[in-house]
Amino acid sequence: MFQVITRSTPVIRLLAPRGAVLVEAVRGRKTRNDPKAKSKEGRIKTPPPVDPVEMVVLRERFTEYDLIMRALRLEFKEEMLRKRYEEEVGSLAEERAKQEAEEHRSLMTWNQEENLRMLKIRELRVQKEVEAAEVKKTEAAILREQTMEIFVKEKGEEIMQIQEEAKSFINMENLDQRIEEALDNPKNYNFAIDKDGRVVKRTVLQ
Amino acid sequence: MVHLSSFLLKTYHGGHIVIRLAMAGHKQSNRPFYRIVAAYNKRARDSKYIEQLGSYDPLPNINNEKLVSFNSDRIKYWMGCGAHPTKPVAKLLGLAGFFPLHPMTVTEAERCRALAEGAAPEEVDKQQEL
Repeated sequence: MFQVITRSTPVIRLLAPRGAVLVEAVRGRKTRNDPKAKSKEGRIKTPPPVDPVEMVVLRERFTEYDLIMRALRLEFKEEMLRKRYEEEVGSLAEERAKQEAEEHRSLMTWNQEENLRMLKIRELRVQKEVEAAEVKKTEAAILREQTMEIFVKEKGEEIMQIQEEAKSFINMENLDQRIEEALDNPKNYNFAIDKDGRVVKRTVLQ
Repeated sequence: MVHLSSFLLKTYHGGHIVIRLAMAGHKQSNRPFYRIVAAYNKRARDSKYIEQLGSYDPLPNINNEKLVSFNSDRIKYWMGCGAHPTKPVAKLLGLAGFFPLHPMTVTEAERCRALAEGAAPEEVDKQQEL
């Protein structure tokens, strides 16, 4: 009837006598439908007795106390509001605002000066860079010209060489003469070489 | 993983602010220690508070003193913002002099004195009888 299933049923609880209320220790162990304990069956709960004289005195004291507390509360509220007001609007706040504004102004001017200085430095640097670039350009041009000259010279030399070689080319007129010459002078390209590098040109004659 | 429950509990507060005693986390020991704390009314006693305003040690120390501390500036601020102190806090601060003396302290003292005076003449009578 009164058994309530708990979340965890330890062994001790299971061994408890039947009819007992098995609930974990929670406020309000018994519901209003559970029977009262035997020792408490005829009990009538009465509030503690009030002494009328003491009650009168107490009431007076409480009214006084409440009055003082209300007054204190208003005082504290006023103080708090005043403090907040002073924080935001008071003389100190104005001074602080002024100081901050001054600081801001000085910092802005300093920033301007820095900017100007950096501008000048940048101008100089940019100018130098431009000059350096120009110098580089001219140098590059000179180099190019020089290389061109060298190239042209080399090519000219080659042409001269080839022209000179062209004199000993075989033309239609030289053809017969050259054939005669080649047949008259047999060249022997055979040779023997040793592992030590010794060359022997004299071979079996044709 | 963000805990969404804290987001849900954060901004809604239908209740008011109270200055009360919260037990300070020594759960395992037989040694209570309270913090005087400004918290929302509906929060659990020991859970997250708005600001700690002091402490109260209910067990007397070597010199038989119970130590209480409180930050009067912040208490004034919170009272001005509309916080309500609970009865024990009001009693403590009354004894400290920050608030007026709570009526119940006076009445309890009177009751104790009456009991003591009631007990002392009885003892005197008993001794006289003997």
